[in-house]
Amino acid sequence: MTQKAKSGLLILLPYLAKYRLRVVLIFAFVIIASSIDQAQPYIIKNIIDNHISVPHPDIRGIFRISMGYLGLVLFSFGLTYYQDVLLQFTGQSIVREIRTDLFRHIQNLSLKYFDQNSSGRIITNVVSDTEALNNFFTDFLTNTIRGIFSLVLIVFFMLKLNQTVALYCFLMVPLILGASLIIRRGIQKVNQEMRTRLSAAISFLAENLSGMAIVQIFNQELKQQKEFDQRNKLLLQSTILENRLNLLFFLVTEFLGDAGVAGLVWFGGGAVIRGSISFGVLFAFTVYMRRFFQPINNITQQLNVLQSTIVSSERIRKTFKEHPDIRELPSAVSPSVIGRVAFKNVTFAYRAGQNVLKNINLEIKPGERVGFVGATGAGKTSLMNLLARFYDVNGGVLEIDGQDIKNYSLESIRGSVGIVQQDVTLFSGSVLDNIRFFRKEIPEIHVVEACRLVGADGFIRRLPQGYHTVLSERGSTLSSGERQLLSFARVMVFDPKILILDEATASLDSISEAVLQEAITKVSYGRTLLVIAHRLSTVQQMDYIVVLDHGRIVESGSHEELLRHDGFYQRLHESGILLEGVAV
Amino acid sequence: MSINQNENNLEKKKPSGWHIVSSYVVQNWWVYLAALLLIMVSSKLAVKIPQLIGRFTDQLQHGTLEVQQAAHFAETIMLISFFRVTTVWLGRIIINGHGRILVYQLRKQLLKKWSTLSPSYYQGHSVGDLLSHALSDVEVVRQFASMGISQSINGLSMLTAALYMMAVHMNWHLALAGLGPLIAIPILVGYFGPKIKNQSMHYQSALGSMAQLVEEVIGGIRVVKAFGNEAVTLHRFEEKVEKIVHEKVKFVRLSSLFGSLLPFLSSIGSIVVLSYGGYLTINHTITLGDFAAFFLYLAQLRQPLEQLGQTLNVVQRAAGSLNRISGLLSVVPDVVDDPDAKKEHRVIGNIKVKNLTFRYPGTEKNVLENISFEVEKGKTIGIVGALGSGKSTLTNLLLRLYNPPKGTIFIDGVDILKIPLENLRHGIAYVPQSGFLFSEKILDNIGFSDNSPDLEKAEKAAQSAVVYDNIVEFPDGFNTEIGERGVRLSGGQKQRVAIARMLYKNAPIHILDDSLSAVDTKTERALLHNLRHNSSVKLNSLRRKTTLIISHRLSAVRHADEILVLADGTVSERGTHSHLIHSGGLYSRLWIMQSGTEEEQKVVGVDGNVRYSEPDLSEERNGLPLSLEGEPA
Ligand SMILES: Nc1ncnc2c1ncn2[C@@H]1O[C@H](COP(=O)(O)OP(=O)(O)O)[C@@H](O)[C@H]1O
Ligand SMILES: Nc1ncnc2c1ncn2[C@@H]1O[C@H](COP(=O)(O)OP(=O)(O)O)[C@@H](O)[C@H]1O
Ligand SMILES: [Mg+2]
Ligand SMILES: [Mg+2]
Repeated sequence: MTQKAKSGLLILLPYLAKYRLRVVLIFAFVIIASSIDQAQPYIIKNIIDNHISVPHPDIRGIFRISMGYLGLVLFSFGLTYYQDVLLQFTGQSIVREIRTDLFRHIQNLSLKYFDQNSSGRIITNVVSDTEALNNFFTDFLTNTIRGIFSLVLIVFFMLKLNQTVALYCFLMVPLILGASLIIRRGIQKVNQEMRTRLSAAISFLAENLSGMAIVQIFNQELKQQKEFDQRNKLLLQSTILENRLNLLFFLVTEFLGDAGVAGLVWFGGGAVIRGSISFGVLFAFTVYMRRFFQPINNITQQLNVLQSTIVSSERIRKTFKEHPDIRELPSAVSPSVIGRVAFKNVTFAYRAGQNVLKNINLEIKPGERVGFVGATGAGKTSLMNLLARFYDVNGGVLEIDGQDIKNYSLESIRGSVGIVQQDVTLFSGSVLDNIRFFRKEIPEIHVVEACRLVGADGFIRRLPQGYHTVLSERGSTLSSGERQLLSFARVMVFDPKILILDEATASLDSISEAVLQEAITKVSYGRTLLVIAHRLSTVQQMDYIVVLDHGRIVESGSHEELLRHDGFYQRLHESGILLEGVAV
Repeated sequence: MSINQNENNLEKKKPSGWHIVSSYVVQNWWVYLAALLLIMVSSKLAVKIPQLIGRFTDQLQHGTLEVQQAAHFAETIMLISFFRVTTVWLGRIIINGHGRILVYQLRKQLLKKWSTLSPSYYQGHSVGDLLSHALSDVEVVRQFASMGISQSINGLSMLTAALYMMAVHMNWHLALAGLGPLIAIPILVGYFGPKIKNQSMHYQSALGSMAQLVEEVIGGIRVVKAFGNEAVTLHRFEEKVEKIVHEKVKFVRLSSLFGSLLPFLSSIGSIVVLSYGGYLTINHTITLGDFAAFFLYLAQLRQPLEQLGQTLNVVQRAAGSLNRISGLLSVVPDVVDDPDAKKEHRVIGNIKVKNLTFRYPGTEKNVLENISFEVEKGKTIGIVGALGSGKSTLTNLLLRLYNPPKGTIFIDGVDILKIPLENLRHGIAYVPQSGFLFSEKILDNIGFSDNSPDLEKAEKAAQSAVVYDNIVEFPDGFNTEIGERGVRLSGGQKQRVAIARMLYKNAPIHILDDSLSAVDTKTERALLHNLRHNSSVKLNSLRRKTTLIISHRLSAVRHADEILVLADGTVSERGTHSHLIHSGGLYSRLWIMQSGTEEEQKVVGVDGNVRYSEPDLSEERNGLPLSLEGEPA
């Protein structure tokens, strides 16, 4: 284990420390239960040597010992059960805490983190990496603790029976371990290959089923079947190999066990004949010999789990080390916002050196309606990202109501700035919960009002269960216009003083757009409205228009002024961009 | 081992799914017989070892044992062990291997069957469900056909052999008493197995529901942050985690109880042998060697008996899985060749739709009503209409993804129901609305209609689809792997690759179903130009294609020879572009909305530079073709 790997597992320590009492208890239980289990051959030896193989056998002694042992076995049964439940429960409690801490931590990271890490990776972190920790408790700890104690006890009893014979027996250990590790490594490799091939076969199938119509239309059924057959065959080969190796492993240990017994018969038999050990001892050795394998087997089997736990916990540790770039000042305030916005010489870059916004100066009065236009990549969305404080400016100041945005609490910024984005994000859940964003404290009547305002009420009522309809597949059954209306309503429920529409209508067909257009006009009263749009009809209604190009404000003014100006806006206006708004 | 034999037999329809396995076993009876014999021999050998040790013990006790004899015992044990291990290994890999071959064939059969089913089948069965169910069913069959069979044979033959040894050669009272608790093992496994499995599924689904939440939140993190909704989300997350813990603890209660019962039972068995066997030994009913051998038998039987119990579970589950698989394999496809289809008919390209009224099977509402139109070979028809007006349905019918009613759609004068599917689809090249691509190389996607795609041909198709420049910019050019569903391409690039795929096919009929929606206006114009003048595309054919363009953007259809406006499944307007924009109907209203009030348009690249301008509409009204300056970017 490298230094680095170990430090990953360290994240478990503080959690384990919290439950140390239970951990100690569990260890104690394991020791007691294993002792009872491993004492059995020793007891049989006692019975044989002291009660059967004697001139005057003593049946009552046998019964006494048997009954005593029965009591112990019953006790151990209860103990094992209780210990296992306790261990798993402790493990689960720890995993629960880690999960919650991790999720809270990730959620509070800034958008920069989400830009830099694929969502797949983050999801793996929260779901699978923590589940690997869970396996660490359920599989690794249970089996290794029990395995190690069993081994120790077996060694102990063997030495107690007869040291010379015991030492001979231990000669088997390197043999068993060696065989175990070699075959296990092979199995691991084949397993990996098998999983890769399986997922290749499945993803091929999945893709072809979803594209079956295409396959059929292009008459390529046979070609695709042939292709699948190749993958299928590869998969077959590795599953067969995997099975052979697994069986081989199992049978090699069986054979080694028999070999150990044979060895005992040979040498131990001689020892009994010479009278250096009793028959009972020899018998107990044969039983211990066979028992030797199981713990070793179980432990080597768990090495994979340990490995993946180390990898996972290292990843979790790394995530915990990330810190949010956007932080609230300790002195942050949450005043009620009026809606004045000022960009003062603002410069901004996602990556150092590549400014996407340069020297932006802009003043927007409360209640003003401002349109933003510009080619794709001009920096319109970035401007709005700053206003929501998703990112911090690199130069200059961004003010709301004359105060630097950094002086506000995040909660107050995000409570007063509402954004409707082009791609709508809906969540699994009812329409109602989606609009009030799962905040149960917001009454339904509020939601209905917001929906009336934006014109979503009508179609929602036509859904099978109205507001309580559960959206299947995150609303993919709704049309894009309907989805957009929902996201619009969601913003309105929170009644933002500053409302941003970022190409909210771009992906809609003309008819849905008209509906939304009407809604925009209705909700704009009493708010500062910032609209990014490509459609002339939308921008024309604004008090004035800001034209962005390559991160700079190149023009601003009312529609008529800008047209007279014969500048960039005029060119945009003549081009397809202002009209269509669909860009690759 | 030949893996392809007998496949066809799997297809035969039988009431119960067991037939799938039993017929496979019967067809390979000699293999299974050999395996059975091997395993039986192995069991017979295995139970010899405790017996040998028993005899060794007796001789030892009576002092009749010599040291060389001990060595001889040891040798015999090794020898027997070697053979019993090898035989059982062989027997089991034969059975397990064949189980896997069966499963391989099942997977193959499933895809073959799925390839014959039409979209209406996939409508009712989501691909995800179909796949996960089918695959987990296949997995259960694998367990049954390999592990299930081999372990039950092994378990039963070990049990018989050991019982025979103990009861006949030693003492049947003790055999029954000692084995009694162990016989409970398979019963326990059979009882707890399904319960544990069930609870484990609850656990998995709790885990899945947490994963789903995380996925949604991470995917929508901007929204979560924009609304400052972190606390609410965290609370929902905690609920999911709590549920996981709850399910896990329930699971652990069961599995721990089960896990501690097994060793408990075998300990009980040992105690019985210890006391009762000890008593018998003292009575001289059995020898000390018998007594020792009994313990070894108990140890030997424990694992096979546990496995026997597992088999019980597998058998239970396999029954359901096999029935479902046999159900899947016997689905009757609804779109098939007509028995008296005109086998030799080749599509030339004249389309005629006559009084077509259609509703999707199992629905109430007509999606298309009384549609009639004709497209002569080489002409272009445009179809526009709002979402849900029935445009895609029309293409579904033309491609016979669904069967149209008899006598409503004709190609070259032949009812398409009478044209073999293969020929029909050979004659139509199509771009789906979704622009579906496969996660293969770009070349393979464009040349999808070919077994071994031709690069030169693909390049030409890409040029005409105005995607060539994008492709060569990728480091691997046409050999770029596009990732699952083409995630490495932008929406517009995907659509254009799908168009290149259509062009590559070089069929007499082209259908584009709203395939330009993510393509910017400038590129759209260049592309449409290329489509109209595909004589410039040197795809070894200079013939003009019959083209059907569907769009909700009017710019895509304005050059068509005829345009149909669909509204609620009926043709509400029809005519040429110039005719329609003056008719004052929906089309002209849409035209005004989509083009602003301006008639003149210039094209600006995304960088804002004016590249070239299009002649204004007045020229268009004269029916002059659009001219483009230079090659499109
Ligand atoms: N999260 C991000 N990380 C890095 N660069 C980005 C990010 N978002 C946008 N950009 C880049 O910043 C520039 C401006 O983008 P954006 O503000 O989205 O433009 P617009 O909204 O005007 O189309 C573009 O060059 C874009 O590639
Ligand atoms: N497979 C189907 N089963 C039942 N109804 C369908 C199916 N496909 C489409 N529809 C319905 O048929 C109508 C027309 O759909 P479609 O042809 O896809 O319209 P368009 O392509 O014009 O948007 C819609 O009301 C749609 O809901
Ligand atoms: Mg943007
Ligand atoms: Mg459609």
